[in-house]
Amino acid sequence: MKRGLLFVCVVGLILGLWMNPVQAQKPIVLGCPLSTAFLYGWTAEKGVKLAVEEINAKGGVKVGNETRPFAVEVIDTRDLEPGVPVSEALMAVEKLILEKKADFILGGPVRSEAALAAMPLLSKHKKISILSTGALSPKYHETVAQEYDKYKYCFRIHGEAKQLVKEILMGFEELKQKYGLDKIYILVQDVAHARASGEIISKLAKEKGFDVKGMEVFPTGTTDFSMGLMAVKRSGAQIMNIWMDMPESAILLRQWYDLKIKALPFGSTLAAAEQPGFWKATEGKGEFTLCNVVNAGNAPSNATPWTMQFYDAYTKKYGIEPEGLGASSSYMAVYALKDAIERAGTLDPDKVVEALEKVDMEGVYGRLRFDPKSHQVVPAFDPKEGAVGSILQWQAGKRVVVLPKSIAKGEILIPQWMKEK
Amino acid sequence: MDVVVYGVINSVSLALVALGFALVYGISRLPNFAHGALYVTTGFITWSFLKSLGLNYVISGVLALIITGLVGAGIYRAILIRIRGMAISEIIASYAIGLAILEGFRYWGFKGMTYTLPTFTKKTFILLDVPVDGHRVLVVVLGAFVMFLLWAFTHYTKVGLALRGMAQDERAAMMLGIDSDLMALLAMGLGSALAGISALFLLPLGNIVVEKGYDVLIQALAVCIVGGLGSWAGAILAAFIIGFAQVVSTAYLGAKFQMVVSLIAILTVLILKPSGLFGRQKELEERV
Repeated sequence: MKRGLLFVCVVGLILGLWMNPVQAQKPIVLGCPLSTAFLYGWTAEKGVKLAVEEINAKGGVKVGNETRPFAVEVIDTRDLEPGVPVSEALMAVEKLILEKKADFILGGPVRSEAALAAMPLLSKHKKISILSTGALSPKYHETVAQEYDKYKYCFRIHGEAKQLVKEILMGFEELKQKYGLDKIYILVQDVAHARASGEIISKLAKEKGFDVKGMEVFPTGTTDFSMGLMAVKRSGAQIMNIWMDMPESAILLRQWYDLKIKALPFGSTLAAAEQPGFWKATEGKGEFTLCNVVNAGNAPSNATPWTMQFYDAYTKKYGIEPEGLGASSSYMAVYALKDAIERAGTLDPDKVVEALEKVDMEGVYGRLRFDPKSHQVVPAFDPKEGAVGSILQWQAGKRVVVLPKSIAKGEILIPQWMKEK
Repeated sequence: MDVVVYGVINSVSLALVALGFALVYGISRLPNFAHGALYVTTGFITWSFLKSLGLNYVISGVLALIITGLVGAGIYRAILIRIRGMAISEIIASYAIGLAILEGFRYWGFKGMTYTLPTFTKKTFILLDVPVDGHRVLVVVLGAFVMFLLWAFTHYTKVGLALRGMAQDERAAMMLGIDSDLMALLAMGLGSALAGISALFLLPLGNIVVEKGYDVLIQALAVCIVGGLGSWAGAILAAFIIGFAQVVSTAYLGAKFQMVVSLIAILTVLILKPSGLFGRQKELEERV
């Protein structure tokens, strides 16, 4: 009887291992340093986990002759929280590498300052990192290009500030042509990427013939924007360009409505307006807000056949639509890495770097390729050419993609009070 | 005129945020560093009653205030009473409690933009030629009313007079038969409810987020230090000084200077009068 039981157990064990070979292999650990209490952190975590679940369900990643599953380790960097020093994020990255034995780093750090500070650490440990959320500073990929041998392990798969500025300028042109709006006021949060972007857009908008009326910098955590909005009103500006990722920006947009400021809010990395909960959070007062969600797939569109597949899978799994920057790009970071590992046939970082440089695939937000010198995803306005952005407008409680034209699902509208003389 | 109108609004908001902290310290000499956590707690409880149980807004708010008051009193009875009089321990313990509450909310998934309370009115008013949203106007009116009620309570009720007696001289109050621990418990409950009242007034302007708890604590501390720890009148005056300093700097120097200017205001007051405007802690040394 005992021998019979032992035989059944052994056969069961063998069958179990045979039927589930992926689970038996050592997983490839993806370490994700993310500011999980904030949109760009939690939405990236969801994107990564969705992709990993899909890939593992299909058998995992082929590494040479074996197939291995992905495993995800997330550590909260808290780098988007006001007052939290950059060192917290660095400790999270180091912990992922040394304690969690992460094979690759994906997602963050999320704040540009922290992402830049983590570069030497990644280089020291020869750890490939694919940034996929938050950090927008052009300095990231410029640093890779300047010191390629040192920083070749750093990649970024989402759009960066310079491309965002181009997209915003395209939006300004559209507003000028359609409604004659050409006076701009810039409102930015007191953080590196926002200040830099504000300066760049101010310069470029002036060069393109727009009248830039002023720029106001608000400290992170500001809860009353009335004085800034009164300045916008007095200036006669018609477009309010906002660069803020703090949740308090919802207050700004409520006040904009209450004070009936005749300047259309046009945000970039405007985290509050990216999220599906924005409508309820502003009691509908945020209607007409324009917002750049950085990559297609973070709002509904038909950029590629994969866009809505991803959108629906995310919505089904989490019960909420992809919420903003970080969702589609973090999802694609896992697929790009899988593609590179399979072509390299090894986890050796130098070989995977070479393979990542040759990634050329159709993703959720268009053709995905990395610039071989700077390791920045190649951007475009057409999804057939490269990674395409996505500008949405809140219309009657829905996020409608209005730009770029190649993927637009609607036209830009302006509120009635802006039409009144 | 913008500066005057928004200066008053900002000052009343700051006074509301700081009043509960000042009350607890004034009576029991207990620095309640869980003040910000209790502020956020009221917001989340109200939201839960309103959205999950579908209760009326007013009932949700009143229930949340009662619960927050009881939580505050419970914190005192269970923990702080044991270390009363040991200033450093009080700070560490109350801060740790606040931290546990706030990070607990984060751990339980209270994050994102989902948590909002409706504004009291959607109207916009024109005051002195300046457009102001109706909710902010109501914050000033209701805030002034709360301050009046607090003044009346502490001047015309037996319990209120006992609380003031404690604030003036605890030993003398005890000699007159006032139960020091009971009054401290009441002060903690009332102070927590005041933190809750400010949350009910101010949170509808934005979102209920965990980080707000830390901001509120810093604001309350700044106001109370400038006003003089333990002085309610000082807290109100300090709220107006800091509130106007922030608005004036935003209007004439730019929004990014508002924190710098308010910190300079704090430093200036502390250099000139280290106990704060109405503080009495170092009065003798200052005179000497």
